[in-house]
Amino acid sequence: MEDLIQIDQLTKIYERGEVLAIDDISTNVRKGEFLVLLGLSGSGKSTLLRCINRLIEPTAGTIMFDGQDVTKARSRQLRHLRRRMAMIFQQFNLVRRSTVLTNVLSGRLGYAKAAASAVHKFSKEDIDLAMANLERVGIPEQAYKRADELSGGQQQRVGIARALMQQPDLLMADEPVSALDPATAHSIMQYLEQMNQEDGVTVVTSLHFLSLARRYGGRILALKDGQIVFEGTPAEIDKDKFKEIYGEDAEEVEVR
Amino acid sequence: MRTPKKSKFVKSRPIRDQFDAIKPRFLAFMIDWMLWGYVAYAVMYFLQRYWWRYIDFYNPLKLPPWGWPLAIIGTLEMAFLTHAFTQSPGMAASHLSLVDDEFKSPSFGQRLLRFAKMNITLVAQPAVFLLRHRKPERLLHDSPATGIMIPTAILKDVVPVSKPCPLYKTYRGWFLFGILIMTFWLGVHIARIDLSKLISGWDYMAKIFRELFDIRLNYLITDVNTGGNLFSILYFMAETVFMALFSTVMGVLVAFPLSFLAARNIMGHSPLGWAIYSFMRFVFNAVRSIESLLFAIVFAIWVGFGNPFAGSLALFIHTIAALGKLFSEQVEAVDPGPLEAITASGARRWQVVIYGVIPQVLPSYLAFSLYRWDINIRMATVIALVGGGGIGTLISFWKGEVGRVPDAWGQVGGVILVIAAVIWLMDYVSGRVRERIG
Repeated sequence: MEDLIQIDQLTKIYERGEVLAIDDISTNVRKGEFLVLLGLSGSGKSTLLRCINRLIEPTAGTIMFDGQDVTKARSRQLRHLRRRMAMIFQQFNLVRRSTVLTNVLSGRLGYAKAAASAVHKFSKEDIDLAMANLERVGIPEQAYKRADELSGGQQQRVGIARALMQQPDLLMADEPVSALDPATAHSIMQYLEQMNQEDGVTVVTSLHFLSLARRYGGRILALKDGQIVFEGTPAEIDKDKFKEIYGEDAEEVEVR
Repeated sequence: MRTPKKSKFVKSRPIRDQFDAIKPRFLAFMIDWMLWGYVAYAVMYFLQRYWWRYIDFYNPLKLPPWGWPLAIIGTLEMAFLTHAFTQSPGMAASHLSLVDDEFKSPSFGQRLLRFAKMNITLVAQPAVFLLRHRKPERLLHDSPATGIMIPTAILKDVVPVSKPCPLYKTYRGWFLFGILIMTFWLGVHIARIDLSKLISGWDYMAKIFRELFDIRLNYLITDVNTGGNLFSILYFMAETVFMALFSTVMGVLVAFPLSFLAARNIMGHSPLGWAIYSFMRFVFNAVRSIESLLFAIVFAIWVGFGNPFAGSLALFIHTIAALGKLFSEQVEAVDPGPLEAITASGARRWQVVIYGVIPQVLPSYLAFSLYRWDINIRMATVIALVGGGGIGTLISFWKGEVGRVPDAWGQVGGVILVIAAVIWLMDYVSGRVRERIG
């Protein structure tokens, strides 16, 4: 399969404290795959995801997205690249005081006409698309509620609808289910799976639980101290590999 | 936090490291020196007060020309002493500890040597600072023989944490307590606190109070001739309210866009942004620190004494700065998550502000604006005392008529009553509105 993302010798050092978050990582993400990033807190998963769309500036190395160098992109090109990579977050990152519809529409800002968007005006097509996406994640009736009136699971669905607005090639999810209960977690993961299989969106998601990774992941990339310690299919992770990723004292927990 | 790994990408920066290492020690010393300078000032003041005034009342006690170097050296030596022999207030404030090469408290001899060497260092250190290669945190007087000053945090990693010593058992605690007592004592003298004055002035005050409470409202609607101008209390009150209204509304409109320019999380992404941010910050802080009464003096000269436009402008300027600062702090306190999400979708930076920041800050902006409106009404009632126009004009007019008009104080009382009523009403209204928003 063709590569969507090629990461070459990526390094990120946080200036304050001089913490080495990502240590010389080289890997690639294939088009249409469901890639799961595993690892403990602080292993560099979030940093890696945020380097791909440059929410965090990498210290060194290159990231190619569909043949274009993300790390060298200037503002306009970077925005055009970001439009094609959607992202959902652990804490949902919705504007809590805005309506659900406004939150979903804000995912379309990269495409919207600049002047019209300044006065909160969106085209008919964009609003229709927003409603269609809310319908798709099953909460069309919540469109005019304030985002903070929704439950956690519903908020994450709004996050997915916002991501769908970009009609992305890549969906990055940073611990999308860590703040949710197990049942809700599965329904959210199923939306990601659905996007991956039906729309052909490449999905890169970081997860805490190995069981979720086993259930949904096509390929697994495990990080530890900013380095890749495992790369392969979920079935290849045995007890020894597990201990290598999570440390000697870890026990595998099931999420059903 | 795991230990950082060294990488080839970490730049070496010797000068900056040296500066960073020296900074807390410099600050510690400056604090101690200034505290002793303050003590020296107090000593001079008390000498004058309790001794010199009985010798030569007409010529206040002054330092002779040779006294200045003496005072400077004296305070320096005291700072050296406390620095070498104690955990001084400055060292505590900068989180520094003095230890020997085994991380124990240095002996008396070591401290004495340290005290002596600090005198040499004061002269010699600047010369060798750049020439001699030393560990940056080491000054000339740091050596195994004299003890070494290190950040307390490092010490805590090396030796087991001991029970913290209560403040009243330390030199530092007593010194600071002494400074506190001294400040109180100085304050009583310098601010001329004299409770007996309250009693000796009481008879006159009681007379005025009686007249003041004999409230006259006969000019409530009827015009009064204030030096050629014919206006009533209610007219001036309306003028006052509209001064506050104009300055608040215009101030909010100007402060709103400027506040984003003074927010670090919006502007801190490029060098130009940093420059604008720092500039706006500086302007806000500078303008805010000048009372609107002082602006009113300037504008009264500019557009005419007693012209409410002068007062409005003064309040307007101050409102911009005060609200700009408060607003920008609100912007800096927003939840960064939504901004991150909107940025990640490929939005322009100003779109992120419109969709991510403004919805988050709008309620507090409204609350602060109403709060500012309260302040502006109160300021507008007194700004006439320096020629800014508004209802204060009547107060100064009637106060000027005391002795010429028999019920002048009663007229002042009437004006104050109307002011109090209107301010209470506005307070009540804005309080209710703020409740609604919150």
